[in-house]
Amino acid sequence: MGIVFTRLFSSVFGNREARILVLGLDNAGKTTILYRLQMGEVVSTIPTIGFNVETVQYNNIKFQVWDLGGQTSIRPYWRCYFPNTQAIIYVVDSSDTDRLVTAKEEFHAILEEDELKGAVVLVYANKQDLPGALDDAAITESLELHKIKSRQWAIFKTSAIKGEGLFEGLDWLSNALKSKSS
Amino acid sequence: MSGHDSKYFSTTKKGEIPELKEELNSQYKDKRKDAVKKVIAAMTVGKDVSSLFTDVVNCMQTENLELKKLVYLYLINYAKSQPDLAILAVNTFVKDSQDPNPLIRALAVRTMGCIRVDKITEYLCDPLQRCLKDDDPYVRKTAAICVAKLYDINAELVEDRGFLEALKDLISDNNPMVVANAVAALAEIQDSSTRPIFEITSHTLSKLLTALNECTEWGQVFILDSLSRYKAADAREAENIVERVTPRLQHANCAVVLSAVKIILLQMELITSTDVVRNLCKKMAPPLVTLLSAEPEIQYVALRNINLIVQKRPTILAHEIKVFFCKYNDPIYVKMEKLEIMIKLASDRNIDQVLLEFKEYATEVDVDFVRKAVRAIGRCAIKLERAAERCISVLLELIKIKVNYVVQEAIIVIKDIFRRYPNTYESIIATLCESLDTLDEPEAKASMIWIIGEYAERIDNADELLESFLETFPEEPALVQLQLLTATGKLFLEKPTEGPQQMIQAVLNNATVETDNPDLRDRAYIYWRLLSTDPEAAKDVVLAEKPVISDDSNQLDSSLLDDLLANISTLSSVYHKPPEAFVSRVKTAPRADDEEFADTAETGYSESPSQGVDGASPSSSAGTSSNVPVKQPAAPAAPAPMPDLLGDLMGMDNSIVPVDEPTAPSGPPLPVLLPSTTGQGLQISAQLVRRDGQIFYDISFDNGTQTVLDGFMIQFNKNTFGLAAGGALQVSPLQPGTSARTLLPMVAFQNLSPGAPSSLLQVAVKNNQQPVWYFNDKIPMHAFFGEDGKMERTSFLEAWKSLPDDNEFSKEFPSSVVSSIDATVEHLAASNVFFIAKRKNSNKDVLYMSAKIPRGIPFLIELTAAVGVPGVKCAVKTPNKEMVALFFEAMESLLK
Repeated sequence: MGIVFTRLFSSVFGNREARILVLGLDNAGKTTILYRLQMGEVVSTIPTIGFNVETVQYNNIKFQVWDLGGQTSIRPYWRCYFPNTQAIIYVVDSSDTDRLVTAKEEFHAILEEDELKGAVVLVYANKQDLPGALDDAAITESLELHKIKSRQWAIFKTSAIKGEGLFEGLDWLSNALKSKSS
Repeated sequence: MSGHDSKYFSTTKKGEIPELKEELNSQYKDKRKDAVKKVIAAMTVGKDVSSLFTDVVNCMQTENLELKKLVYLYLINYAKSQPDLAILAVNTFVKDSQDPNPLIRALAVRTMGCIRVDKITEYLCDPLQRCLKDDDPYVRKTAAICVAKLYDINAELVEDRGFLEALKDLISDNNPMVVANAVAALAEIQDSSTRPIFEITSHTLSKLLTALNECTEWGQVFILDSLSRYKAADAREAENIVERVTPRLQHANCAVVLSAVKIILLQMELITSTDVVRNLCKKMAPPLVTLLSAEPEIQYVALRNINLIVQKRPTILAHEIKVFFCKYNDPIYVKMEKLEIMIKLASDRNIDQVLLEFKEYATEVDVDFVRKAVRAIGRCAIKLERAAERCISVLLELIKIKVNYVVQEAIIVIKDIFRRYPNTYESIIATLCESLDTLDEPEAKASMIWIIGEYAERIDNADELLESFLETFPEEPALVQLQLLTATGKLFLEKPTEGPQQMIQAVLNNATVETDNPDLRDRAYIYWRLLSTDPEAAKDVVLAEKPVISDDSNQLDSSLLDDLLANISTLSSVYHKPPEAFVSRVKTAPRADDEEFADTAETGYSESPSQGVDGASPSSSAGTSSNVPVKQPAAPAAPAPMPDLLGDLMGMDNSIVPVDEPTAPSGPPLPVLLPSTTGQGLQISAQLVRRDGQIFYDISFDNGTQTVLDGFMIQFNKNTFGLAAGGALQVSPLQPGTSARTLLPMVAFQNLSPGAPSSLLQVAVKNNQQPVWYFNDKIPMHAFFGEDGKMERTSFLEAWKSLPDDNEFSKEFPSSVVSSIDATVEHLAASNVFFIAKRKNSNKDVLYMSAKIPRGIPFLIELTAAVGVPGVKCAVKTPNKEMVALFFEAMESLLK
């Protein structure tokens, strides 16, 4: 009852909360993206052994963003964070062509998860500032995004260091979430 | 948590866990916080909420300090049960250890230390390193303790990451609390390590003494306890230390006072000026007295410590005996300890006062206390010759009040007094005899019978008195039976008339035929044989002059006493046991400790049964019963992992050697390693020896079984020196009742065991008739000292200089005595410890020597000793530090 009431309440005033997971292989730039979104600046990071969680306010939506460590040893624990997730931001290091196959496999494994059935997917083709980075079309190809049938998705070229493309992605995400709940 | 939070303990709804899970994932902070509180509440009452691990950990990143603390609390409790998931918390710890708030930084580093999960310890090193250098002293002091915790989890990691150096740097910190915690951490680490890690130098000494004045009381205790390990270089330094420590005696905290007393007592040993010593004794009395106005529990601890102090330095409290008088409302354990100290402090000057007190106590209601008081009177009589008469008159007064247990106790102590002052107080025997009928305790009965037997000559009706006891002979306890036997024997020898003859006949008959007690039977047979062969000889033996006794009960031997005094204000000084006797330093999980203790108990060395037969001494049981010196349990041998040995045994067939022909070397008796009680009749004695540059295992078998034993084989487990059998074990088939001794050639570096050097040598012996026997031997390192160990003066000097000071170690052998330099040099040379040079240093001789073990490891030795005075200081430099402990063991046994 309480939850229903809150939903009603927030939709009237257009103020919502969404739980978002930032996933991806290690060294894809997840933590940098999180703090770029939250504070608007580039922080120096070390490999995340565990998680970071921050709240980002954008377009009248309060995003509760969970940035999970991408190390092979931590990936099995991603599933602990799947319940109640509205959206996934999947970050790919566009310059790390060697591991695109691994990135693809992890990505599709996530999409298989029951608990994430209703989640919207936003892919960041990150590190566009680096020479030799693949563009969004190439990433779309290598991640086999076209195979996704039953959910909304989008891909954006981003550079967390330069701050490019991130908020365009969020714009898309907030619209997608709004249309989904209304 | 505030008071009304108790409501969280009272939920009993169904499906609590899923409900909690939902609440923990709520989007509202308050709800999450409440949920974590509920989880903690469930945890404290013992419900298993470990399944909520990730959900709780997800609440960890919060601005709310209260919530953070709760999550940390949860983590400490459950990280062990969810070691894989614990990794999820790492990033938050790392973040928190860089939080702008020093409280959060310290909280993070403290919690990290409490999470004992191997997988994540490595990730926690970087934050710890940062926190050790934090700007905030609170964070630094917390980090210091965290290093000690980490050392317990992973010592190697701590050393590799240089945390020990960081800790040592913290000793020079400008904040005294940080210094105190660094010292505490280092002391803790030192305790669990065999290597010297934390050694106070004169530089750190002054740092510590400065910090001492400024830090909290518990910090002071840490610093004082560490200082007590410091050996001052000379009397001046000792005086300096004492001077800086003395103000601590005024502290309100008992622990601080006792730790200060400990240091002062230790340093006093070095101070030569009698004035200074006298002054210090005076200063220590009031604080010790003050301890006795605390709660009874603290009083007890204080009394146990004072008991040690007065044994070492009676003068300190010589004038304070009044404070040890028992108050009527003291708990019994305090009273007992006070009595003990009163006896120790009793002197000719205060004995009247003390006797009055004792007499008072002897009329109290608590039976144990009364008995102890009566005994105390007796012990004072034995201790103070001039007061003996007064003590006896008090005892007689007590006997007259006819309280059964008082009378019995009095008779027991009077017997001791008779032994101490023979032919002085026998006039009171008549009074004692009056109470004969009331005796019902074995010890009192035995004492009375001893008195009658001893003075049979002077007691007219001794035969009647004894006869009255004889009627119940078969039902009496062994103690009484033995005394009856002896007393009847004495009576017969004194008055060889018909009555006593019948009595002795009856007793001997009873004691040989009717009894199952071997002691009694043996003694009876000896008497019988003596009496029947040579009554004069019997007289000489049975009625022999007895040595005078002295009161040394409850007296600790001096080396143990010094050991205990160095541990004042610890459990050791309360138990009056050295720490090794009850603390295991083995570094394993706490559970495993117990098992290892059990192992040790079973496989430890058993002493050879060498009780002398002293049936002839009439006082052997009753007469000295209160004077038996307390035997300290032998230090447990290293635990022996038996199954491993068996595995190794079977895996190495090539060195199991069959038995061929006998050889029969002879020599001094060997230490018994497998007593016949353990070996089902087979007794094995053995020792490693060096002959003509070759190492042998000198081993001897005693066949106490009923069958012939043959097919002996021997096998050695992996050991530090890699010792293995180098040839055949040659033992011929052993007939029952015979023994064989052989020299088994040994080879070294064959089956080396990894790990820290140890002198443990595990041996397995089998034969065709019995199961495999396992026993432990010790490898004496001096068996490895080679004939090529002699060094020239110049090369010795060069080698000494080329080795860094870290490689120098020294140890005191308090019980070794050098009675003549030449004899010692010769004796050591026989074991390949070669003399190089000597010099005089004041009244002491300093000897320089060298020795070498295989693989070219030299030991450069400096022995310092005063001729004829116990105590040899041995300093050694060697490139191989690990071997130092074993080397000292070897030197100590060589200098015995």
